[in-house]
Amino acid sequence: MNRAGFQVLLIAVVIALLGVLSIYSSTYQKEGDIWQLIYKRQAFWLILGLLFFLLMYNFNYRRLWDWTYLLYGLAISLLCLVFILGIVRLGAQRWLKVAWLNFQPTELVKLVIIIFLARYFSTKSADDVSLKNHNLGIFRGLIVPLFFVCIPAALIIEQPDLGSGMMVVFIFLIIIFRAHVRLRYFFFFLAVAALSAPFFWHFLRGYQRDRLMVFLNPNVDPLGAGYTIIQAKIAIGSGGFFGKGWLSGTQSQLHFLPESHTDFIFANFAEAWGFFGAAVLIGLYYLLITRLFSIAESTYDSFGRLLAFGIASMLTIQVFINIAMNLGFAPVVGLPLPLMSYGGSSVLVTFISLGVLANISKSRT
Amino acid sequence: MRTRIVHITVACVFLFLMAGLLNMQLIQGRKYGELSKKNRIRLLPQMGSRGRILDRNSTVIVGSRLSYDVMILPQEARELDETLERLSGVLGMEYGDLRQRFSDGFVSSSIPVILVRNVNIKRAIAIEEMKFELTGVLIRPHPLRHYPHGKIASHMIGYLNEIDRWRLTKLSDYGYKTKDIVGFGGVEEKYDYYLRQEDGGESVEVDRKGRFVRVVGFEPPRSGKDIQLTLDIRIQKIAEEALAGWKGGVIMLEPYSGEVIAMASSPDFDPSVFIEPSSSSIDGIFRDPDAPLFNRAISGLYPPGSVFKMVVAAAALETGKIKPSTSFNCPGYLAIGNRDFKCWDTHGEQDLNGAIAHSCDVFFYRTGLLLGAQAICDYALKFGLSRPTNLDLPYEAAGLVPSPLWKKISRFKKWFSGDTANFSIGQGDLLVTPLQMARMVAVFANGGRLITPFVLKGVEGKDVSAYQRKVSGVFLKRSTLDRISHGLKDVVDDPKGTAHVLSGLPVSVAGKTGTAQATGGLSHAWFTGYFPVETPKFVICTFLERGGPGHNACLVTKNIIERMGKEGLL
Repeated sequence: MNRAGFQVLLIAVVIALLGVLSIYSSTYQKEGDIWQLIYKRQAFWLILGLLFFLLMYNFNYRRLWDWTYLLYGLAISLLCLVFILGIVRLGAQRWLKVAWLNFQPTELVKLVIIIFLARYFSTKSADDVSLKNHNLGIFRGLIVPLFFVCIPAALIIEQPDLGSGMMVVFIFLIIIFRAHVRLRYFFFFLAVAALSAPFFWHFLRGYQRDRLMVFLNPNVDPLGAGYTIIQAKIAIGSGGFFGKGWLSGTQSQLHFLPESHTDFIFANFAEAWGFFGAAVLIGLYYLLITRLFSIAESTYDSFGRLLAFGIASMLTIQVFINIAMNLGFAPVVGLPLPLMSYGGSSVLVTFISLGVLANISKSRT
Repeated sequence: MRTRIVHITVACVFLFLMAGLLNMQLIQGRKYGELSKKNRIRLLPQMGSRGRILDRNSTVIVGSRLSYDVMILPQEARELDETLERLSGVLGMEYGDLRQRFSDGFVSSSIPVILVRNVNIKRAIAIEEMKFELTGVLIRPHPLRHYPHGKIASHMIGYLNEIDRWRLTKLSDYGYKTKDIVGFGGVEEKYDYYLRQEDGGESVEVDRKGRFVRVVGFEPPRSGKDIQLTLDIRIQKIAEEALAGWKGGVIMLEPYSGEVIAMASSPDFDPSVFIEPSSSSIDGIFRDPDAPLFNRAISGLYPPGSVFKMVVAAAALETGKIKPSTSFNCPGYLAIGNRDFKCWDTHGEQDLNGAIAHSCDVFFYRTGLLLGAQAICDYALKFGLSRPTNLDLPYEAAGLVPSPLWKKISRFKKWFSGDTANFSIGQGDLLVTPLQMARMVAVFANGGRLITPFVLKGVEGKDVSAYQRKVSGVFLKRSTLDRISHGLKDVVDDPKGTAHVLSGLPVSVAGKTGTAQATGGLSHAWFTGYFPVETPKFVICTFLERGGPGHNACLVTKNIIERMGKEGLL
């Protein structure tokens, strides 16, 4: 294994192991076999993830170029399947039951959209070997790719999963920025999005509006929508410098903090390990993400570069939004913390993405 | 170019996260630490019992018993309506009423709502037995004031109630809080500091649903200290029963030490009314025109009438204005200025002894005029009038002894000889409390010493009466004391004495009657004396507000002494 790929794998495994520890601690006091098994399941997903990482590492990413439309079609049909066969959990229809495990197609769809956009913006004409993105008009540079992104994004938002839907739009924005589409289209899109925000407000569901409102002021509804934000802040803040110790975080152990094994695992971790541990964790994420970006920058193949860049951006956004949400800087949207939060699909897809990146890094030399 | 923007953005994003983390965990860490503690720590109070009040023979006058409150913990009461429905059956209360009490008392889902206070033990047990059908219902035992003798000594004991604003501002430095139950009036107020219990409790850690996880700390409740009074409850009872039907007060003191053996005031009140507050009965007490909460024995101010004559006699003998043999003729009146001052009878020639025994007004008019107002005033002050006796009970009145100077200052009027005449027979502006009169006569019983009455004999088994006893030195001549004592004895022994009705008793009694004129209506009746004459053990002052002639006070006193004799208490 090459050096960059190994570094990425190492950091990812360290973070994922910290995740398993935190999941164990968050379910430590809970009764029932299901809860006691949860950290074992996560360990299982981690091992499966490692296998997929190795699989993707040895799988030439250029083949993804060829399979792009196939993958895109598959993604759309999976999303449609969720509507028909999906399992409803916590009021949202996001999961597909495959054999004995539940799978969340959204995680995979995000990766597919990155592959799709990477291919779209790395197409070269036969007579010009340089990229032509900066010469693209508004139609081919913005509207066509946006159309292809909006179909899955709309399906995701309908699940409803506003967080992931917005993620997809963010990824699109960052990729068109990086792909050297004209800046004026980029800003045009931003302006249109900002102007139409009040319009979309009416399409939001009640609880989504509540979440945005309590993000602005959690004390509007301290026992309802604001409860989680307040409890997460208390958990993080009360950790202090050295934390309360593993299995001793009162906010998590006494269940004041809901979802402490999924979306709010960062708060759980920060309570137990304090500023010291949380800073190390954020540092690890930073290290991982800068590794990923440097792989992207040192790749000469434009498809590989955009693909690596897209994956790195996706992880950055997820890490940022999740931690910011834990700290009360972002509204509560159901986004997991990659590698840490409990959830098979997320772990698996993250390791697959990292495997693809490792393969890109291997292929460039 | 765009790559660098991306890199810088990523770095900024992580710096932003770090800054947020730093602010929350290090800068505001303490605040959030407190919040997390508040989240998980609950205090479950446990109440101590208030100290008991005992009489001089350690009989319990006021004690404590357990009472039971029915509470409901909102977060655990799942089917609230059904639970309340069942409870209403057990408690015999309307469902709607319970529902209303619940919504009135609701604060937060983790704080129990008190539905009904002071349920009897049978119902409490019935509810405990239905525990599984009544989820979230708790029974909390707590000690409550118990009055085994009912209304006895109610004024001396006082009552308990929620602390008022005035007391709270005064006492907040001593650890008193709003909603504390404190003593009002009497011993309960004066010695609240001893009697007061300290509530303890457990601090327990709970989880998000308020379920118990573990005990973090325990502070045992501390019961208040028992205090022992100088009161003899048997004599107190006799005194109260003798006084029943009258308005007024009876005080009995031990003449040498000043121990208060009985202190009755009528009408009285039932202190247990304040325990179970139903506003109508409390309102009744406060609105009663007879003012049952008012302790007439120490707070009531009345003219003393002829009882005061012993002060005038003592002043005259001490200053040498009269001799024991001095006598004046009583034609039934005395003309002073252009007014006739009447005597209640025509006594003829009277010496000092006879004048005291027959309570001759003319004799004392003349004696008073010889003395002058200022001398009478001086001796009145020596007998402890015009200031509180320093009895250890709250709300004692000071009284008033007039003097020419006082009249000039407060009334802007000149003092006339007529004022002196009125003053000499305890009328006019003179005002005293029954307690002051008892203390005054005690001087003749104990050989010339002014005592300080007190009620606290011991605290928590330790006798403190030695610290309480404050007795002045002898301030009258032996001959003066003997003369007047002889006169007081003749008040009873002389067949024409005003208190001759007390002569047939198993003990010899000495004392003085008084019939004090009061503006409009009946006069006040006084008797103050001591018994047995040879070795005085009790000083008594019987006062009947608007009780007619002093003879009535003698009858009440006779009743008391007779019953004490029957019960072997003499």
